[in-house]
Amino acid sequence: MDRTPALIHSRRALAAAALILGGLAAIVGSPRPARIDVSALAREIATEADHVDAIVLADWIRARRPGLRVLDVRARVEFDEFHLPTAESAPLETIATLHPSFAETFVVYSAGGAHAAQAWVLLRALGHRNVFFLAGGLEEWMAEVMTPVIPDDPDLAATMPWSRIIDVSLYFGGTPTTAAEDPHRTGWRRSIDFEAGRTSREQRPARRWRRGC
Amino acid sequence: MSAPLVDSLALSTTTSLAIAVGIGVAFGWTLERAGLGNARKLVGQFHLTDLTVFKVMFSAVVTAMLGAFWLSRLGVLDLERVYVPETWLIPQLVGGLLFGVGFALAALCPGTSCVAAATGRFDGLATVAGMLAGVWITGVFIGAISGLYDSTSRGTVTLPDAFGVPYGFVVFAVVLMALVGFRAAEWIERRP
Repeated sequence: MDRTPALIHSRRALAAAALILGGLAAIVGSPRPARIDVSALAREIATEADHVDAIVLADWIRARRPGLRVLDVRARVEFDEFHLPTAESAPLETIATLHPSFAETFVVYSAGGAHAAQAWVLLRALGHRNVFFLAGGLEEWMAEVMTPVIPDDPDLAATMPWSRIIDVSLYFGGTPTTAAEDPHRTGWRRSIDFEAGRTSREQRPARRWRRGC
Repeated sequence: MSAPLVDSLALSTTTSLAIAVGIGVAFGWTLERAGLGNARKLVGQFHLTDLTVFKVMFSAVVTAMLGAFWLSRLGVLDLERVYVPETWLIPQLVGGLLFGVGFALAALCPGTSCVAAATGRFDGLATVAGMLAGVWITGVFIGAISGLYDSTSRGTVTLPDAFGVPYGFVVFAVVLMALVGFRAAEWIERRP
């Protein structure tokens, strides 16, 4: 192919364009969109697609769900004291160092759930897509995985996969009890879908004043 | 409207396949116009006399890479929905070696063999037939080789992940490699 002046000129222009675009890419660093889609995030929060229940997380950990990463956003000292099985320490200040990855599902938790919810917003803003958080934090884990209460009411008992919940609880060293043994906690959700991570809320156990974020 | 269109427009399989045919025709046409339907041109790659294949493929890589980066940055393309092939170290090494041997023998690779066949070259037809036969044989014996086939999976690994550097940094590095590579290719071709 003869190299006419026009060809050389167009090749040089293309090379310059590539160099400029590449250089700008190095300066910009991340291919994430420059603006956060606030309405989309708000919609996800409103439809409760942003969090999972403790029992669902427990089931995922037990089943060794592929790509699952459990992140603890509390301070390192709190993490060292106690953390959920398979959890990694990711103190909130270091959240920006987490790179989004294609095949991973993040589940974030904190002591009470507030910092985890904030971490969810931050991670979504960074561009992560498969992120959930534990709405009630470690307290929810303690209440619903370690000490689940099986209701006495046969109607309620029939709608939930209680044997699976009991299995999961025992797997983590929990102590399931029946409502008769613990009259202060009478009932629970109406239905739970382990695969999709959905629960519908009918009744929640009464909470004491929460401490910690 | 954002990309990937197949998700955002909820295209049916039929529509997606029809679009794929269109893209395939455009790809074949571009390859043929670049001269890559001719086995002698392709074999020049191995004798270092004609590095057109290198230039065409690498410039395509750079175009796609810059396009993906900037479209994502502008919010048009959702990078996390784009399929990234997974890595299986040993099976892909073995497959790559087989591919290389076949490429050197036939002087055609899968895409260019279709282009050659479409332009009426018999070696192209033979290579397409060989490729399909190879695929069929692998399918027949997939049970026996599944041990090798599924081994050393590394999941989905991208260069920014593997080297722990920012995405944009990798983009710039690849552009630089391409431009330096093109210069070097021209120099190699001009040597007697």
